[in-house]
Amino acid sequence: MSTPGNMATFNILHGHVESLVRGMRSSFLADADYHHLTQCETLDDVRLNLSETDYEDALADMNALIPTGLQKAAVDKLVTEFQFLRTQAIDPLAKFLDFITYEYMIENVMLLLKGTLSGRDINELIAQCHPLGMFKESTMRSIPTFESTPRGYQDLYQTVLVDTPVGPYFSMFLQETAGRGEVSNVLEEVEIEIIKSSLIKYWIEDFAKYVDSLGGETATIMGELLKVRADTNAINITLNSFGTPLNEPAMRASDRKRLYPALGHLYPAGTAMLADVGDEDELGRVLELFPQYSSIWNIHAAGSEGKSIDDAFYERDVQMLELAFEGQMHFASFYAYVKLKEQEIRNLVWISECILQSQKDEINKFVPVFSFNSGWRASSKKR
Amino acid sequence: MSEVPPTRMNQQVYKGKKKAAESGHKLLKKKADALKVKFRDYAKSIAETKSGMAADSSSAFFSLTQAEYAAGNFKQKVSEGSMTARVRVGAGIDNVAGVKLPIFTYFETGAATDNASLGLVGGGKKIQLVREKYSHLLQNLIKLASLQTSFVTLDEAMKVTNRRVNALENVTIPRIQGVLDYIDRELDELEREDFTRLKLVQGKKEVAMEEARKENEAKGVNRMKANEADITSNYDAGDDADVVF
Repeated sequence: MSTPGNMATFNILHGHVESLVRGMRSSFLADADYHHLTQCETLDDVRLNLSETDYEDALADMNALIPTGLQKAAVDKLVTEFQFLRTQAIDPLAKFLDFITYEYMIENVMLLLKGTLSGRDINELIAQCHPLGMFKESTMRSIPTFESTPRGYQDLYQTVLVDTPVGPYFSMFLQETAGRGEVSNVLEEVEIEIIKSSLIKYWIEDFAKYVDSLGGETATIMGELLKVRADTNAINITLNSFGTPLNEPAMRASDRKRLYPALGHLYPAGTAMLADVGDEDELGRVLELFPQYSSIWNIHAAGSEGKSIDDAFYERDVQMLELAFEGQMHFASFYAYVKLKEQEIRNLVWISECILQSQKDEINKFVPVFSFNSGWRASSKKR
Repeated sequence: MSEVPPTRMNQQVYKGKKKAAESGHKLLKKKADALKVKFRDYAKSIAETKSGMAADSSSAFFSLTQAEYAAGNFKQKVSEGSMTARVRVGAGIDNVAGVKLPIFTYFETGAATDNASLGLVGGGKKIQLVREKYSHLLQNLIKLASLQTSFVTLDEAMKVTNRRVNALENVTIPRIQGVLDYIDRELDELEREDFTRLKLVQGKKEVAMEEARKENEAKGVNRMKANEADITSNYDAGDDADVVF
């Protein structure tokens, strides 16, 4: 099997699919589209404008546009496009695309488990799952049949989750908690977000390992993207844990540290320091040591009325993902495509919500994708 | 009015009724005034709270939009979590000038904040902001609900009290007054009748006495002449005056 990224042989196996994804790149909304959308007064205007873009078919069935309906239609469109790519892909690209879906699968598994704990109907839960992360219907339906005891979870893993691709992450998580002497009811005591963060951590590490094994351009670009993702997670977890039980000194070293992925620019020195951080000032001091994050941190520290740290992260992510589209013969463009499409969906929902709630002055606070006016593009053009 | 016999006893009875009615009327008027003052206060607070609410609720919903932009769709995660209320509404009773008004108070049960680590991987701060804004909005909502229910109850009570005041003023007291006037008049008239009758009787008696005297004088002269002729005329019982005890 030729390594992906090898210029000579890449196109044999993956050329067609790559050309598809590059064609899909032109389906992103352009500056002019965003401009028209922000000028709309009502949601009907938004619908009218969107029907001239690539979203025409997606909205054809809708009578009246509401933000949640728009989101659903846009996500469905993304899923259709993704599955179109997936069906035409072969290994190792196929496995790469699957890895992308594991993130959503983790979220769905957590949703199903937590929901059945609270006694919700399985059909409702399935309807709320993210469509990119669906696994076999039979597997999903058998989840609520297990009892919520430690023994029950072991059973659940051995019979059900072991079949799903995310099973290994779950088993690693259970082993780690069992290894620390906690035989108690894991899913009920530990909050769902913390479990999900742990699973995501394992996923990032696993994905990075796989990407490294692919070698070539893919390893370089994708590796970088995953490192940045891991760092973003680490910083966010630290920042958002202030004020929650996770920030207590006892919990920091044990629980919070375990949520930091074992890769990234911040690893290992940075994450060791982050584990001890107790408040925002300390966090700022740690981040000063890493230039690429100190600028983002300054945006957060500068003011809450302007951009927030999430906006800064989004902008930086979009810039990196756009760059991932440059260069040929690698898989990172697929990952970038999915993530950028997600950003676009976020933008659309934001714009329509602002119009609906008459908050016109906030409407421009989104990050356009492939925009000619992006900060970094405009500044580099001046040169 | 004609059913009440115009006796002095009834006059006393009705005087007592009038006094009771008048003092009751004064008390009720005081109560109505107190209620009116409270009513105006409530109306002012309701107007203030309502105008604040419009801005509060739109900013709360917008903060939710911002949080969803930053943290993705977390509504399901919240609804799948445990649903024990952290805030409850306490119902109490407030007494205003004798009128019992319902009031609602904001009451924290002290249960732990569920989903404290929501948005851990992104948007946590925004979610905190949503929590704060909605708590604030909830407090205002409870206050407004309390004010409005009290307002409605107060309104009812005021209507009833005013109705009673008016009834007393325009119906009961005049009626009692009318009865009293009637009794007075009747008693006066009875007195006058008695008086007139007495006078008449006296007058008649005087006339009778005059005539009797005149007859006596005439009869005395005649008797002197008839004495020699008729001895029995001395024993005529007709000329002697009556013996009156």
